Amino acid sequence: MRIVACVKQVPATTEVKIDPETGRLVREGVRSVMNPFDLYAVEQAVLLCERLGGETIALSMGPPQARASLQESLYLGADRAILLSDRAFAGSDTWATSYALARAIETLGGVDLVICGKQAIDGDTAQVGPGIAAHLDWPQVTYAAAMTDCTSRRMRLKRMNEDGYDLVEVDLPAVVTVVKDINQPRVPTLKRVLAARKMDIDVWTAETIGADTSCLGLDGSPTRVVRTAPPPPRAAETRVIQGDPEHCARAMVHELRARSIA
Amino acid sequence: MTANRGRTIEIELLSPKQSDEKLEESLEKFAVKWRRAIDAGYMVCVPDNPMGNLAFQCTELIEELALPCPPGRVSVHLNTFHTKEDLDGILETMIRLGIRHLLIISGDGAVRLPKLRGEDIGQDVESVTSVELIRHVRREYAGCFDVGAAYNPYEPVEHEREKMRRKIDAGAEFIITQPIIADHPEMDTILGFGLPVTVECWMSRKLHLLSDCVGYEIPEDTPYDPLENLRALMLRYPRCGVYLAICGFKTQFHLLGELFDDVERRIASGETGKVNQ
Amino acid sequence: MHTLTDTQRSEYADVWVVAEQRGGRLKSVTHELLGAGRPLADERGGRLWCVILGEGLSALPAECFARGADAVLLVDDPALAHVTDETHAAALARLIEKHKPEIVLCGATAQGRALIPRVAVKANAGLTADCTGLSIEPETGHLLQTRPAFGGNIFATIRCGEYRPQMATVRPRVMAEPPVNGLRTGQVVREELLPAEKHARMRVLEEFIDESEAVKLADASFIVTGGRGLGGKRGFDLLRQFAHAVGGAVGATRAAVDAGWIDYAHQVGQTGQTVQPKVYMACGVSGQIQHLVGMQSSDIIIAVNPDPDAPLMRYADYAIVGDLYEILPAMLRQLREV
Repeated sequence: MRIVACVKQVPATTEVKIDPETGRLVREGVRSVMNPFDLYAVEQAVLLCERLGGETIALSMGPPQARASLQESLYLGADRAILLSDRAFAGSDTWATSYALARAIETLGGVDLVICGKQAIDGDTAQVGPGIAAHLDWPQVTYAAAMTDCTSRRMRLKRMNEDGYDLVEVDLPAVVTVVKDINQPRVPTLKRVLAARKMDIDVWTAETIGADTSCLGLDGSPTRVVRTAPPPPRAAETRVIQGDPEHCARAMVHELRARSIA
Repeated sequence: MTANRGRTIEIELLSPKQSDEKLEESLEKFAVKWRRAIDAGYMVCVPDNPMGNLAFQCTELIEELALPCPPGRVSVHLNTFHTKEDLDGILETMIRLGIRHLLIISGDGAVRLPKLRGEDIGQDVESVTSVELIRHVRREYAGCFDVGAAYNPYEPVEHEREKMRRKIDAGAEFIITQPIIADHPEMDTILGFGLPVTVECWMSRKLHLLSDCVGYEIPEDTPYDPLENLRALMLRYPRCGVYLAICGFKTQFHLLGELFDDVERRIASGETGKVNQ
Repeated sequence: MHTLTDTQRSEYADVWVVAEQRGGRLKSVTHELLGAGRPLADERGGRLWCVILGEGLSALPAECFARGADAVLLVDDPALAHVTDETHAAALARLIEKHKPEIVLCGATAQGRALIPRVAVKANAGLTADCTGLSIEPETGHLLQTRPAFGGNIFATIRCGEYRPQMATVRPRVMAEPPVNGLRTGQVVREELLPAEKHARMRVLEEFIDESEAVKLADASFIVTGGRGLGGKRGFDLLRQFAHAVGGAVGATRAAVDAGWIDYAHQVGQTGQTVQPKVYMACGVSGQIQHLVGMQSSDIIIAVNPDPDAPLMRYADYAIVGDLYEILPAMLRQLREV
C-alpha cells in the first residue's frame, strides 16, 4: 500500500496571544510543534504498512521550518517525507491548501489512502481533509476512531459523531481523518531517531506539482481574514456566593440558567 | 547503595530531548559527562521524560552510546507513562546490563506519552501511580531490583506521609527526596520510615527555579550557594546519600572531590550538622 | 480560482440552512441556524430556505416553517438515508450551482464539518468553520463571520468578498433557538438526485447510538473537575453524576490523579490536557499555576471550596464558599426542577 499522512506544523497554541495594541498574533517565542492530531495520522499509516506491507509518505505544506515536523514523522516510522514549500503557497486558506496537497498526492501517484488528523489546532477548521478528498474526487471518512478489515482495496471504519458512531465501509483510494482514539503514537527509540535523522526530506514546489497558480496562495483563497482580536477579557470581579448550601446552589443554578447553560 | 565514599553520591544527567535539533552533538556531551561521573567514582542516573517532554531512556542511551555501566553505579528512573511493552523492555534491559537501582515515580505526564493501565499490570485500580508500579515490579521481578520511591516534603504532609506508607507497603526499599535547602521539618518523618534515604541537592544558583516545586514564589535574586548547601546537607545527614540535580560540569564538578574530602574529614573529627544523624 | 464579477455575484440571493436530522426530526442546531439566518435574510432582502437531504422527510417542512423558514428544498431519496458525504456533497454542490444561494449555513457538528468543506471545494466557495458571530457588513453587504482560532486564544473576522456562496458552519448552542410559530407555512420545492450521484464509494453498514453518553474532556462544553479537596476516590462518583446531569465531562487535577483517585485521561493542566469549555467548575481545587494553564481559556470558571482564599477562588468568575459534598447535590436537585 502507498499511504500519505498529511502533517502540519503549528504554533503551540496555548502560548499564542494577540498583542493588544496591534491586534496581531505574537509569534516570537512561541514553540512550533507537529499538530497533535497528525501524530495519530502518521502512526496509523505506519501501523497499516507494518500490517499490510507498503510505504508511508509524510507530506506537509509549510515554510522551511516545517521540516522539523516531517522529521518527527520519520522518527515515528514514515518511510519518506515530502515538504511542499513555495512562496506561492503563502496566504493559502483551506481551499488553496487542500488544492496544493491534492496536486502533490496526484503527482506522487499510486496512492491508496490519505490519512489526516481531525483538525489543526491553530485553524481548528477540520476543512483540509475533506477538501483534499473533494479536489481528488475520492470518497472520505471523517472522525475515524478505528480501522478494521483493511485491504488495499477497502476498509471498515468507525466514524464518530455526537450520538455514537457509524460503522462504514469505504472503497480505496480514499481520504480518512482520524481522532485520537484510533491509536497511541509510539515513543520513537533512540536507534530509530538516529537512523531517521540521516534520511533526506524531499522539497517540492508549485512547479513540481504542476499547480494552477490561480488556485494557490491568496489568489486561490476565497476567504480573507479581515481582523483578529484577543478573546473578551475575563471580568475582573469574582462573584462570591456563600451561605447555606441550598442558597448557594440556587444562586449558581440561577446564573447558569440566565446564561442558557443549564 | 554504592561503596563510594561510604554513601551514595548520585549525579543526575538529563537526556537530550527528541526535539533537539543538534541531537548528535548533545549525545556526545551527554556521553562525556557520563564517563566523567563514572570515572570519578559516582553513581549516574537519568530522569524519565521529565516534564513530559520526549527524551530518551537511560537504558537505550547506555546501549546506543556504549556507555560504561559498572555494577552499582547506574540508577534508572521509571515513571508510569509507558506502554507495558516498553516497560518490560526497559526492565529486561536493566537486568541484561546488571542495573539493580530503580527509582519508581508516578511521573510528569503528557498527552503525547502512553500511560500504563491497571489491566496492563493485573491490578484493578482507577489509575496506575507509583504505588501500583512498585508493587508490580516487586512482584513480577522479585529479587531483580532495589526499588525506591520519591518523597515530596512540599506536598501537604498527611497526604505525602500516607502515600509513602502505601509505597513502602507495595515494596519500596529506599527513599529519594525532592530538593532540600539547608533543612526541612519533614526530614524527621522521612528518616523515621527506617529506610535508606538520599537527599536531593539543587546544584543551580538559580534557586527561584524551584518556586514551582516548593509551591511558593522564591525571589529571583535570592542568594544561594549550591556547593555550600551540599556541604551542609552532607554534614547534617551523614548517613544519607546525596542526589545532585543540575550539576554544573564546567563550574562545579571538579570541586566535588575536594568538597567530599572535606565533609569526610569533618565527620571523622566529630563535627555534625544538627539533630538527626 | 476565478473571482466572480459584480454581475455574477448579484445573481446570488437567499440564505440556505442545510439541515441535520435524525429519525425524522430536525436537530436543534438546525433550529438555531434558522434563527441566525432570519436576520441575515431580512438584511439582504432575500428568503430563508431550509435545505434537507435525506429519506422520509415529509413531516419536516412544517417544522422548518414553524422556526421561520420561508421555503424548504427537499431531496428525498433512499440513497440519502445515510450520509456518505460524497452523495450529499455532489447533490448540494449541484443545487447551489442551480439555485445560487448567497449564504449557506450548516451546523458545525461531526456531520456538518465533514460534509460542508467538501461542498465548499466543489462549489468554489469560501467556508468559515465554527462561527460564533454572523452579520452583514453594512457598506458592502458581505457576510462577516467571527470565529475563534488558536484554541480560543484569538478571535478572527473573516469575509469572502469575491466568491459566492458565502458558507459558514456554527456550533450547536451558540445561536439561540427561534420561537415556534405553528401557523407559519411556506413553499416546498422538491429536487431529485441524478443517477450518477446515487453511486457512492462508501457505505454506512450500521448506526450505533452510544447510550452511555460519555463526553470527551476535549469536546465538553461543561467540565466539572475534582482536586485534592475531594478527599478520596468517591468524590468522583458525585462529579460523574453531576457531569452526566449537565451533559459534561469530568476533569481532575494532578493531585487527584497521583493519589490514584481517577485515571490520567481526566487530568487537566500543564502535564495533562488543555481545555476550553464554556463552563469549568473546579471542586476542591486550590488552583496552582500548573493547573490554571490547562483551563484558563474557559468562558466561565466556577470554584467550589471551603477556603475563600484559595488561589482559584480569587481567580474564578464565581467562587462558591462551601462543602462540595453539600453544594453539588443541592445544585443537582435544583437543576432537576424545571
